[in-house]
Amino acid sequence: MCRDCGCSLTPESPRRVVEVMRDLLVENDRIAAHNRAHFDAHGVRVINLMSSPGAGKTALLEATIVALKDRFRIAVIEGDLATDNDAVRIRSRGVPAVQITTGSACHLDAQGVHAALHQLNLEGLDLLFIENVGNLVCPATFDLGQHRNVTLLCVTEGDDKPAKYPVMFRSSDLVVLSKTDLLDVLDDFEPLRAAAALRTIGRDTPMIRTAARRAPDIGSWLAWLECELAAFHPIAPRPASPLQRAWV
Amino acid sequence: MHELSICQALLDQVHLVAGDSSSERVLKIVIAIGPLAGVEPGLMASAFAVMKIGSFAAQAALIIEAVGVEVECSVCGTISAAAANRLICAACGGYRTRVVAGQELRLLRVEMLPAESPQTLN
Repeated sequence: MCRDCGCSLTPESPRRVVEVMRDLLVENDRIAAHNRAHFDAHGVRVINLMSSPGAGKTALLEATIVALKDRFRIAVIEGDLATDNDAVRIRSRGVPAVQITTGSACHLDAQGVHAALHQLNLEGLDLLFIENVGNLVCPATFDLGQHRNVTLLCVTEGDDKPAKYPVMFRSSDLVVLSKTDLLDVLDDFEPLRAAAALRTIGRDTPMIRTAARRAPDIGSWLAWLECELAAFHPIAPRPASPLQRAWV
Repeated sequence: MHELSICQALLDQVHLVAGDSSSERVLKIVIAIGPLAGVEPGLMASAFAVMKIGSFAAQAALIIEAVGVEVECSVCGTISAAAANRLICAACGGYRTRVVAGQELRLLRVEMLPAESPQTLN
């Protein structure tokens, strides 16, 4: 026995040391890449929607479906700890919704989304929303195979949230201020301060305003989505004319 | 508490490295967790203490190496240390930075004791 620390190993113990240097979530990332390839093969644009609980993810989706369902084919994967209430709300708007009930898990992972895809026909879909579990910490760490991360920041939360949750807000491609119809009655949320908080974590992420209930005001959100869809479905280039070809 | 899921991913990876649990005893697992990985080292240590029980790694110690945050400025090119929630360039104060260290969530190495070793535990 070692006399210094009492362990059973002497300095000449034939330990085998294996240098690994591998990301811990490599398996999740592998499945996420598989999901993404599956989405790409079907021409489906996939948006991962994240926020704290109650920021209005489902309400935004409901208003979005009402506005876009006649022009685009939409589906939703819903992540929730316990109920399928949100999936029921989405289905009542006439689009397919698959519920993932995570139990005690605080986030969706690529494997869970992959399993949900087996219950969803991607054929003919344009847009798939993944509504993540309401949580500003855990979902940021897990790639699901989405094309874009969108984080809602509700104006009833502090405008310093980006600095408090840097991992989440750094992962975001778009920040959606939600319930902005309440800004007039709140004196402690200043959108410019939220934008400044984003810059302190090294991001200049676009930020838009939405109000999804009563008199819905989601125009800039719909415009962002349409740009996403347009970028994803580029107009096929016309074949070069014989004259152009001659120049090549 | 996504640390439980991540701990399971860790044990899966170590199992791949160690192979059949009967041949070698895993003594030490060394990982790196950056402040921007979204994982709490203390919670990870607690999760590991629970999840290793009854597993092939029951006698393994988990060593978590701390990593600092460093950003590279896209404007002036300086690489500087930063806090996790203040990722601005220390030289010019710019916010157009790229994180070059601090997002790690990585298995670095595994130390094992071959079963045929003359050394015994206790």
